[in-house]
Amino acid sequence: MLKHTLTALALATGLTATSLAAADYPEHNIQGIIQWGAGGATDNVARSLTPHVEEALGTKIILNNRPGGTGVIGMNAVMHKRPDGYTVLYGAENPQLYPIMGLADFTYADMQPINVIAQGLVVIAAPADSPFDSFQDLLDYAHQHPDELRMGDTGAGGLPSTLLAMINAVDSLEVRSVTFGGDGPGITAMLGDHIDFMPLSLAAAKEQIKAGRLKGLAVFTREPVESLPNIPPITQALPDIAAYLPWGPFWAVAVRKDTPDAVVDTLSDAYAKGVANEQFQRFLSDNSAKSLNLRGEEAEQFLKRWQSVTAWALEKAGSAKVSPESVGIPKP
Amino acid sequence: MGDTLSFFLMSWLDPSLLMLTAAGTLAGIYVGAIPGLSVTMATSILISFTFSWDVNDALALIVGIYTGGVYGGSRTAILLNIPGAPSSVATAFDGYPLAQQGEAGRAIGLSTVMSVIGGLLGTLVLASVAPYLSDMALEFAPRDYFLIAALGLLLVGSLAAESLSRGIFAAALGAVIGLVGLDPVTADPRFTLGSMQLMGGIHYVVVMIGMFGVAEAFFQLHQLDATPVRQKVDKILPSLSLVLKFLPLSIRTSLIGVIVGALPGTGGDIASLFAYDHAKRTVKKPSKPFGEGAYEGLVAPETANNAAVGGAYVPMLTLGMPGDAVTAIIIGALTIHGLNPGPMLMIETPYIFWFTVGNLVLANLFLLLFGLTGIKLFAKVVELPKAILIPLILVLCVVGTYSLNGSMTEVYWMLGFGLLGYFMKVYRFQMGPVILGVILGPLMDTSYRQAMASVGNDSAAFVSGLFTHPLSLVLTLAVLFLLLGHSPLKRLLRREKAA
Amino acid sequence: MPHRPPLKAGERAFNLLLLLLSGGVFYEAYRISGFELPNSAGAFPLLLGAIMIVTMLSILLGQRHHSRPAAGGALGELRQFLATHFPLPVVLFSLLAVGYLLALPALGFIAATALFLLITQLCLRRGHWVSAVLVTVLITAVIYALFTLLFQVYLP
Repeated sequence: MLKHTLTALALATGLTATSLAAADYPEHNIQGIIQWGAGGATDNVARSLTPHVEEALGTKIILNNRPGGTGVIGMNAVMHKRPDGYTVLYGAENPQLYPIMGLADFTYADMQPINVIAQGLVVIAAPADSPFDSFQDLLDYAHQHPDELRMGDTGAGGLPSTLLAMINAVDSLEVRSVTFGGDGPGITAMLGDHIDFMPLSLAAAKEQIKAGRLKGLAVFTREPVESLPNIPPITQALPDIAAYLPWGPFWAVAVRKDTPDAVVDTLSDAYAKGVANEQFQRFLSDNSAKSLNLRGEEAEQFLKRWQSVTAWALEKAGSAKVSPESVGIPKP
Repeated sequence: MGDTLSFFLMSWLDPSLLMLTAAGTLAGIYVGAIPGLSVTMATSILISFTFSWDVNDALALIVGIYTGGVYGGSRTAILLNIPGAPSSVATAFDGYPLAQQGEAGRAIGLSTVMSVIGGLLGTLVLASVAPYLSDMALEFAPRDYFLIAALGLLLVGSLAAESLSRGIFAAALGAVIGLVGLDPVTADPRFTLGSMQLMGGIHYVVVMIGMFGVAEAFFQLHQLDATPVRQKVDKILPSLSLVLKFLPLSIRTSLIGVIVGALPGTGGDIASLFAYDHAKRTVKKPSKPFGEGAYEGLVAPETANNAAVGGAYVPMLTLGMPGDAVTAIIIGALTIHGLNPGPMLMIETPYIFWFTVGNLVLANLFLLLFGLTGIKLFAKVVELPKAILIPLILVLCVVGTYSLNGSMTEVYWMLGFGLLGYFMKVYRFQMGPVILGVILGPLMDTSYRQAMASVGNDSAAFVSGLFTHPLSLVLTLAVLFLLLGHSPLKRLLRREKAA
Repeated sequence: MPHRPPLKAGERAFNLLLLLLSGGVFYEAYRISGFELPNSAGAFPLLLGAIMIVTMLSILLGQRHHSRPAAGGALGELRQFLATHFPLPVVLFSLLAVGYLLALPALGFIAATALFLLITQLCLRRGHWVSAVLVTVLITAVIYALFTLLFQVYLP
């Protein structure tokens, strides 16, 4: 206990040299901050991955949800901790869009990515008794009756609005967007027929579609998805959207930018091992997510590409609050 | 039938499941009792623990924590006027006065028995009509949630004891606090004053801990030298006749609890406030006036919040949709364990339903056991010298707030709300309406805007929607009845003239 | 004519402060999205701001005829306000609480909490220093064990 107090004192007075700490990292528990709330997709990914990482790292990672502001709050918290590798961020795709949505002026580029874990698939779902049988039907109806269909949304910078923007970049789909607190409340509203359709992460909608409670109108891919082969790919209705594919939300782990290289290496090794774990891989495939397990240079490239594709699609559809050009996002 | 019974008894007969349920319930009571440590947090921490366990073990532990946690919040509410969780806010209204009159032991005993009754009734409803209840819950459109929030805000009329304008002011202030942060629809910052910290909003537990806990600690400083109230600890168990007397009320409030709990947008916190209001309206001759230690004011919220647990499981088990934050985490746990929570859950893994029902009943029995032991010791807390109690309360408030999010800024906010709460208390503002506003304000804002967006921002269509859909019509009439019938407005005019 | 209790010291000032706050809320609400559409981000906040202003005005109007709490003008009222609502223990405790919060990140949880508990107890009940030390050690240990070891909460 005395040692603990002394460490705290030393930290407080700024005596601890980060280089010293890096030598035998990790010396104590690590704090993991999840930028979305408990029970959501990011939370589930973080919590099922972490035990495997703890094993590889030989220390505990204490997870903490810091939701709010489309994830800005959690990310901001990590960026204000010491860059010693004792605070890691579990994030989703949203930070890549903060600058163009005017939410914050930082992205993953302002952090040190440790691992890009996996990418999710997206499905456009409708209530089981919906008059539409395919996305083409829905699009045709919307062309004749603009601004009449009710789309479930999760707010600016969320998955449905991003997807809508991508569709609007190649076609036109005018809808009333009804905002919910996340996938769950949106699906519930759809089950009660209170909205007409909603783009969802497949992980969230799969069970409802299998049970016939919801109808899948299109999957956001070029080819049909293995687990739900009857749902046509979006390219059937919108061939032009292929330019943006493959696209989907993703999950990543990152630490502060100035974290010592040795610590970054240790963490990257541990997370790579954790993601590769058989049990976690099964979790991903059960949830129709594609394992990526990218680190270092590869991870950075993936993040850049995702950002430029999505940001420019938003810009083209007129939904970007700030032009990607002005914040230095190159064209894809 | 044979299957049903064996699934039901699974957790009763397997020693390890039995132990885990017991351990969970006991731990839940303390997690729930400590402000800032929430059931949501405890279950989400447990998920990583139980990752390598059998899924039934994990479920049994979580059921225990959930049942114990919802109840545990009443402990600190009664003893220290700090609700351990938002669903115990209403418990403090009459529970704390009782403790101040030397009846802390009795209050805890009564709230334990009532919690168990509520929990069992909630489970009964879950077991008997879950599919129907979940279909009904799906019928609630955004405009109906708007009406529920409106109904809830009208409770100010019964929470504000002294002056209705003060109550309305406090509720509006609470709603403003609840809205702080990025707007969930447009991501516009609201009341953030340019601060990055405030973009995430102010957690309502921060407000609750500050306004109840710290404000109370400041208040107590005035009576530093007063000898603490001697606690009567002889009659802790409520007599059978007392329980029978409250049975009709507790059945009604349990029903309120289970229905509000089953709605995916509302939970035990709102249920217990509705129940308190219901008791206040329907019980003509309470044991003592409401707000001064009426047993009825303890019975209603305690039955309702535990009944809401059964309610929250309804959409989770039938549809795979969470009824609240805790069931959302359970869904995550099932996913991690390779089960597929969804509408097929009851078909693919049929045992889960009756296993959970049996487990809930078991957890409630453990609750009765653990809840009734050690009361004498707890009641003594109130007898601690103020000079020990007050610093202890503050430390608990600080630690509790910090453990919410690990943020020191929130601790400062908590202290700020404590000071504001102290002054509001001094100048005869009530804390209840503030919390009511914090909880219901955001619900009202989002559901109103969802409803407006659904009809294409057409105000006329919005208003006509309130009268044309059967469910909405019922709720609208209820709102109008409350507004005009018991007319808080009328009272407002009368009160202010007389004051 | 109904009985009118005298106002508490500082009550009118406090209510005026709250009125000011309400005005601030209304202004901030206006800044969100002006007086746009009926379902803009600022619509509900504007309504709340208006409600706060109206109710607070009605409270202030209701108190218009109440007698002032103390003779001796504003200064006398201030003195009475301090005496009734800010007696020495409250002031002391507030200062200690703020000090505690400042000390937390600097000294760490255990040291800061122990110090705070010890000092407050010594200040609030002079003399009993043996029991104060015992209680301090006990509470700090229990809370630390409960939170850090059992619930794995990350304390400062």
